[in-house]
Amino acid sequence: MTIYSLYIYDRHCNCIYYQDWHRTKRPRTAVEGGLLPAVSAAVYPKADEPAPDAAAGPDWRHPRNTLNSATGVVVAVNDDAPRSPLPPPRASSPPPAQAPSPSAALTFDEEAKLVYGVVLSLRNLVRKLSGRDEQFVNYTTSTYKLHLYETMSGYKFVMLSDPKADSLRFVLRQIYAGPFLEYVVRNPLVPMDSREQGIDNEFFRLSTDRMIRGLTVFE
Amino acid sequence: MAIWGLWVINKAGGLVYQRSFGDGLPHLTSNEYLVLAGTLHGIHAITARLSPTGTSSGANVISGETFKITILLTPTGTKFVLLTSLAENTADTVLQKVYEAYADAVMKNPFHTPEMPIRTEGFDSRITTIMSS
Repeated sequence: MTIYSLYIYDRHCNCIYYQDWHRTKRPRTAVEGGLLPAVSAAVYPKADEPAPDAAAGPDWRHPRNTLNSATGVVVAVNDDAPRSPLPPPRASSPPPAQAPSPSAALTFDEEAKLVYGVVLSLRNLVRKLSGRDEQFVNYTTSTYKLHLYETMSGYKFVMLSDPKADSLRFVLRQIYAGPFLEYVVRNPLVPMDSREQGIDNEFFRLSTDRMIRGLTVFE
Repeated sequence: MAIWGLWVINKAGGLVYQRSFGDGLPHLTSNEYLVLAGTLHGIHAITARLSPTGTSSGANVISGETFKITILLTPTGTKFVLLTSLAENTADTVLQKVYEAYADAVMKNPFHTPEMPIRTEGFDSRITTIMSS
């Protein structure tokens, strides 16, 4: 049992916060302009890096890198050759067979939009089927479970966890009632509802992290 | 413990069978059911791509506050969807029985066109038996 990730969206459909924990399949960094600033430093496009694959880990979709990691020949040949374009060997490198598959290559902004789209469609589906103002709560697949908590002001808290976890709606409510109110709503330095900037700040990130790591489902 | 509805969605996302049981959920028009089935088909495909760890199936169970949607995806792409109360714990076995009835009464029926709406009396009566047991 574990917890994978947390997304927060505002009422204008923008992703304003992201954090992840035990993900084995990380999203690629967002493309330029696809993501607001101050959402998550980990997935924000890195403009000032000269070579993106040197800093952000090996780019497995690149045909040359895939070849090198699969054969290992080029790495052993010549010490004088410039090594810098080659990725450093990683313990957790994925098998080359699955590396070029397009499903592993979602950028973060695409992923965030898909999550929002699924949540919104399911919300409308549940509302239509029940015939009243009923909320969508969660869904389960074979590898994860997605939970939704929506506040009165239209903020949507979305969490991905292990499929065997119970409903984590109360956790999302706790994040809202605790760290979110304390370090975002009551923080004069965070522009709420700006449509130009996320809500990421050190206090909120730390206190959310501490809360999630303290849960029994986190391990 | 209650079952409120059964849908069969073909591999293209079209609703080929829809039946409501009891009145736990409001009865919608057949046009609305068609739209909802199409939406569900799309969502199901996207949920498989959002997995944070490796490859995933599509959504199996979708829960609201008072009801849940259980989805059985067959290897051929046909989806069996059951709308039940949250406490219902036999949804998976019921769906397996429905799949069996579908194989027997629909797929073996020479007058049935694949991927088209199911108008087979035998299937209707088999479903009635499954739901009343």
